[in-house]
Amino acid sequence: MIHISNILLALILLSVLLSLRSNRLMALVKLMAFQGVVVSAVPLVLETSHGVNVNLFLFFLLLVLVKGILIPGLMYRAVKWVVVDREIEPIIGYHASLFAGLIMIVFSVYVTNHLQLAMFSESHKLLMVTGITTMGAGLILLMARRKAITQVIGYLMMENGIYLIGTALAKQVHTQYVVEFAVLLDLIVAVLVMGIVLNDINHTFDDVDTTLMGQLKD
Amino acid sequence: MLQLVFLIPIIAGIAVFFLPVKIGRMVLIGTAITHLLITALEWFHVTGPLHNKYFSNTPEGMLVLAIMSFLFLFISLYTISYMAEVEMSKEPTFNACMLLFLGAMSMVTIADHIIMLWVAVEATTLMSAPLIFVRRSKESLEATWKYVLICSVGIALALLGCFFIIFSMEMSNIHVPISFSSLSDVADQLNSVWLKAGFIFIVIGYGTKMGLAPMHTWLPDAHSEAPSPASALLSGALLNCAFLGVYRCHQLMHSAGLGDYSSNVLIAFGLASMLVSAIFILNQTDYKRMLAYSSIENMGIIAVGIGIGGLAAFGAMLHMIHHSLIKSSLFLSAGNILLGYGTKSIDKTRGMLRLFPKTGMSFFAGFAGISGFPPFGIFISELLIILGAIQAGRYVAVTIFIFCLILIFAGASRLVMQMIFDENKEDDRLVPETWARALPPIILLLTSMALIIWLPDSLYQTIQSAISSIGGTIHG
Repeated sequence: MIHISNILLALILLSVLLSLRSNRLMALVKLMAFQGVVVSAVPLVLETSHGVNVNLFLFFLLLVLVKGILIPGLMYRAVKWVVVDREIEPIIGYHASLFAGLIMIVFSVYVTNHLQLAMFSESHKLLMVTGITTMGAGLILLMARRKAITQVIGYLMMENGIYLIGTALAKQVHTQYVVEFAVLLDLIVAVLVMGIVLNDINHTFDDVDTTLMGQLKD
Repeated sequence: MLQLVFLIPIIAGIAVFFLPVKIGRMVLIGTAITHLLITALEWFHVTGPLHNKYFSNTPEGMLVLAIMSFLFLFISLYTISYMAEVEMSKEPTFNACMLLFLGAMSMVTIADHIIMLWVAVEATTLMSAPLIFVRRSKESLEATWKYVLICSVGIALALLGCFFIIFSMEMSNIHVPISFSSLSDVADQLNSVWLKAGFIFIVIGYGTKMGLAPMHTWLPDAHSEAPSPASALLSGALLNCAFLGVYRCHQLMHSAGLGDYSSNVLIAFGLASMLVSAIFILNQTDYKRMLAYSSIENMGIIAVGIGIGGLAAFGAMLHMIHHSLIKSSLFLSAGNILLGYGTKSIDKTRGMLRLFPKTGMSFFAGFAGISGFPPFGIFISELLIILGAIQAGRYVAVTIFIFCLILIFAGASRLVMQMIFDENKEDDRLVPETWARALPPIILLLTSMALIIWLPDSLYQTIQSAISSIGGTIHG
């Protein structure tokens, strides 16, 4: 069982690094869909050692539906409206972002080793490493890109990372489906609202470049 | 029963989306009155206390809920005549989102489960975003984008903080429901390192929403670009809700014996916010931005007061009430000014006392109130905070505190005097003022004045029990 979860975590890290390197918005959306599905599967693989749970499986299906299909679908529609499907001049270049991602992995291994999580199994530690890296890379994506869509994707990646950290740390949350469902609902509405604003930005500015918006400052 | 407080606005909000404008306005007022009635029932415990897995009524929550409900009634009355004046094409959306926003905020005030609180705070961001970009100008789009993105990222960090707090419980092998009430019972057994880490993330997360510096950058943009009723609601009700999230965790830290740590964190963030707003308020050219910076200042004052504790904690709670009343009144007056002059620039809004006597009066009185002059409540609350700080021996903090107050008063008074008393040769009045729009801000100010003369006993008791868990008391 441990092997499957390790493969999943490796896939997540791969998607994180690829998204830092990618300059096509469409490719980013596809990567997000892939990452969403893999992230949803992680609790399933980790918890099955205690026996398969019907509720857990149903929740897995719901997560895949939301993170793998619904949210990427919304983003896909947003990208279709956009004329320029390419990040022109990122604030931090692709190679530098990729390098920052690699440093983030090293950093999260260091942090996890110093947290003194004696009660953690090996796979939970790796989960923690992946979670911190994903969250950090999401933040990098948020800050280093100009396109509003890429920023949304950065936010989603951060959310995925926090979800992974939560899976590693807080076992009790994953037995309270009402709460998890509410968090998921918030995520959907967040993407919906961001999508609507994105659409308006695209109409008003003819682009989704956030550097065009700079009128409000002190 | 308690859940009705957020269920009714949400159902009404969804209905208003599909109803014609005129009926929608009626529903808005009707829901506001119903909400106030339910809040009153809960306040006096007519329905009995409720301890659900996810919700419960706590004194501090009821305090925030009562302020919000009271404000909402007057803001919704104002909204109707404001909206009739600006003839907004998206009015049903605006009214519906006002109600949904009220629902989300009410949910914050009664949430007891840690993550339910998070869900509700995030929901307030999402429900209020449409209120800001309802005009769809370039500036309002920019403001909305900043608001949604900065707040969502900040609140995501608060979720991480929630996980840390849950983990501090699992570290010590305790298994209780993850709600604030049951966690504070076992607080002394929680792992302190993870609890501290969780508190930091939660302060950063909810502090972003509350407008604490340096995470405040969205606040001036959102408050200045939103239509005035929405700004009044953002400043008077939403910031309190975010503060409630921080305060709940501060209570938890106190029962875990880490009160000193969390107090210092709150004082540091509070003073930073006051300094930042003092610096930025000096050269404002936009009166709504000026008011927004003043909100940042006042949130800083509340954070400092809560951090100091004792007498200052009582002052901070009082400050929260009066700031909400006075600042909402100021934003509503600002809405009248914006309608009358058609501009947000301070330079072009001179001679208000001659052109718009009612609005000029309420704006000036509100400014006197927010600067801490008697007979308005902020005078008492700031005095209590300063006395509490001296009593607690926090001399450095109180020096910075007073310095910032003076600086902000000096900076803002120059601008406000210019708006109200300067000569204006032109006689352009785009929209004449009416009592329907002038009365709500005046009533809010009068309420603040009345609460100074007569603080109802039940309100006094509620404040007392809200601050007793962090060692706050009026009998310093």
